[in-house]
Amino acid sequence: MGENVTFKCLRCGHEFCGVYDTDVERMCPKCRSNSVRRVKDKPAPPAHPPKK
Amino acid sequence: MMDAGRHPRIKLLAYSEIVSVSGYVGNFSVRVRKKARYVDESACTACGDCAKVCPIVVPNEFEVGLGSRKAIYIPFPQAVPSAYVIDHANCLGDVPIACGKCRDICEIKCIDFDQQDQIINLDVGAIIVATGLDVYDPSALDEYGYTRHENVVTSLEFERLIDAGGPTGGHLIRPSDRKPPKRIGFIQCVGSRTLSGNGDPSASSGQRLSRGRPYCSNICCMNTVKDSLLLKDHYPDTDISVFYMDIRAFGKGFEDLYRRSKEAGVKYIRGLPGEVVEDPVSGNLLLTVDNTTQGRVEQHELDMVVLSIGLVPSEDQAHIKKLLTLSQTDEGFLLESHPKLKPVDTPTRGVYLAGCAEGPKDIKDSVTQASAAAARAQIVLNSDKLKVEAITACVDREVCTGCGLCAKVCPYSAILADSKTKMIAQVLEAKCAGCGACSAECRFDAITMRHFSDAALTAQIDAALAENPENKIVTFACNWCSYAGADYAGVSRMQYPPNARIIRTMCSGRIDEDFILRAFQLGAPVVLVSGCHYADCHYINANRWTQKRVDRLWDRLERKGIRPERLQLEWISAAEGAKFATVMREAERIRQGVTPEEIELTRRVLAEEG
Repeated sequence: MGENVTFKCLRCGHEFCGVYDTDVERMCPKCRSNSVRRVKDKPAPPAHPPKK
Repeated sequence: MMDAGRHPRIKLLAYSEIVSVSGYVGNFSVRVRKKARYVDESACTACGDCAKVCPIVVPNEFEVGLGSRKAIYIPFPQAVPSAYVIDHANCLGDVPIACGKCRDICEIKCIDFDQQDQIINLDVGAIIVATGLDVYDPSALDEYGYTRHENVVTSLEFERLIDAGGPTGGHLIRPSDRKPPKRIGFIQCVGSRTLSGNGDPSASSGQRLSRGRPYCSNICCMNTVKDSLLLKDHYPDTDISVFYMDIRAFGKGFEDLYRRSKEAGVKYIRGLPGEVVEDPVSGNLLLTVDNTTQGRVEQHELDMVVLSIGLVPSEDQAHIKKLLTLSQTDEGFLLESHPKLKPVDTPTRGVYLAGCAEGPKDIKDSVTQASAAAARAQIVLNSDKLKVEAITACVDREVCTGCGLCAKVCPYSAILADSKTKMIAQVLEAKCAGCGACSAECRFDAITMRHFSDAALTAQIDAALAENPENKIVTFACNWCSYAGADYAGVSRMQYPPNARIIRTMCSGRIDEDFILRAFQLGAPVVLVSGCHYADCHYINANRWTQKRVDRLWDRLERKGIRPERLQLEWISAAEGAKFATVMREAERIRQGVTPEEIELTRRVLAEEG
C-alpha cells in the first residue's frame, strides 16, 4: 500500500493529498495536469483522523 | 485437450510451473519445475481404486467447495493427462502405520511416494501466455449477504449445481434445505462496472478494488441468459428474475438468445437490489430494488439468488509479467503491444497472449485469439533470420564503469551488467527495443542510442534556441503518443501557440536530464516533457523513469533557485490532440510569466555549475 502524501500541481498551484504510488499516473484533480510534484516537507494529514 | 495431449509434437507439462525465462525472440531458455504428483502418470490407468480406499476427504476445488474429493484425485473429469495426483498437503503419507493404502491397492504399482520435483530446461523460439483468470469474490459486498445467507450463490457455484457431472448430478437444489427452488433471481454486474472509492485519490488500490472492478467482464450477461434458458428448459415452472444495469448481448446470435429468454418468460428488471435480507424461518430471500424502468421501488421474495460475478486477473499475473518482462493494464491484465494492430503481441518480442490473460472474453474470442497467437508464433519459428530493431543501445566499453544502472532501468532486461563485479555493460541487441532509458540514465554518457544520439538531440536543442530563445517552448515528445498527439492537433486544425519547438524521441524515457538543463542554459523559459500515458507506454514501463527523472530535476532546479514550474510534464496519447493544444496554451501562459531577468539568472546559475 502506498504512502499518503501531499502533491502540488505545477500548472495551477493546487495542493491535494493522495497515495504515492509509482505505478499510478499523477493528475491534478483541478486542472488535470500531469505536472504534479510531491511536496516533501509537508506531511499529508492522516486519511482518517483519530476519533476523539 | 485430449487432441493436444495426444499430438506427437505437443508436449504437455501439466502440474508444472515456470521458474525462469531467459534469452530473446527465437532463443528463449525456460526452466520448468514439474511438481511431483507421486503417481507415474504414464502408467496410471485412472481406474480409481486408490481414491476408493483413501481415507482423507477434503473440499473439491473444481466443485467450488460444493463437493468433496479424496487426497488422491483427478482434478476434474476431463483432465489431461487422465492420471491421479496426490495432494501432498492432505495426504497422510506412506508411513505404513499412518496410511499407504493407495499404494497397497494399486495393481500396476504406479504410486511412488519418493517422487521429487523435476527441473526441466527447454529451448523455445516463442512463448504464448494463456494463463487465464480468476473470478471476483463477492464477500466484500455485504449488502448481498453472500457470506451470511446460504441461498445466495455465485454464478460459478450455480454452474456446478446445474451441471450433470456436478455434485447434485444436475438436479438444482438450494443449499439451505436441498429443495428445488421455485423463484430464482440473478443479480448482474457483481464485481464489474464498479467505480469504487468514488474517485477518492487517497483510497488505496485495495480499497478501490474490493467492491469491484471498473470494467465490464464481458461474459456475465450471456452466461445468465444461457442459464435462464437452461432452467426454463429443465424446470419450466421456475420463476426467474434478472436484475441488471444493461444487458450487453453483443455478438453473433446473442441478441436472439436474449429475445428467446424473454419470450420464455424470464423477467428482466432494470435495477440492482440495494439489499438482500433472509427470512430466518423459511430461508427465503427478500430483495429491495429500484425498478428504474417502472420508476418504483419493488420487493421480491425469492428462494435463491445467483450473483453474476465478474472476472478478475489471475493472482500470479504479476509474477508472469516479471518473468517475461511484460506490461499490465491498470486493471491487472497483460497488455498487448497495440490494441488494434498487434492484439496478440506483447512488448517483448516472441511472447504472445491468448485468452483471458489479456482481458475478459468468452470462449469464441479466446479460441480466435489463441489461433492468432499460434499463427504469430509460427512466423518466428519458420524464419531462418529475424530482423532486429535498428534503434538500439550501444555501450562505449572505454567509458562504462560497470555501475549497472542501465541494466536496472532497462524494461526488457536487454542489458547484461553486474555492479558487484563491475562487469562492463553488454547490450543484447535482439532484446533491445530502443527506448533509450539506459542512455538517459547513464551518468557517464557511456551508452549511445543509434539514430537518437546525445549529439543529434543536443544539436536539435541548440537549433531550436538559436534565435529568440525567450519566446520558445522546448517540447520533448515521444514518437508513439505525444508526437502523434501533436500531429493530430495539427491535422485537426486545432489552434495552439506556434512557438513550440518539438523534439522527437522514441520514448520519453530517452530524455536525459542534461537535455533539459541545456535548454534552460540556452535561455528556454519553459521546457515540456511529454510521453505516453502509463498504460500506453510502448516500452513496457520506460516512462516511469521519465517521471522519476523529472521528479529529480524539479528538486534540483528548486535547489538552484529556478522555479520548478518552468519544467512541465504531460502524458498525451495519440488521440489527445485537444489535450496537446491545451497543454501548449498553458505552457505559453507559464512562458509569459517568465521574465528576462529570470532567464538570465537561470543561464548564469547553470553556467556556473558547468
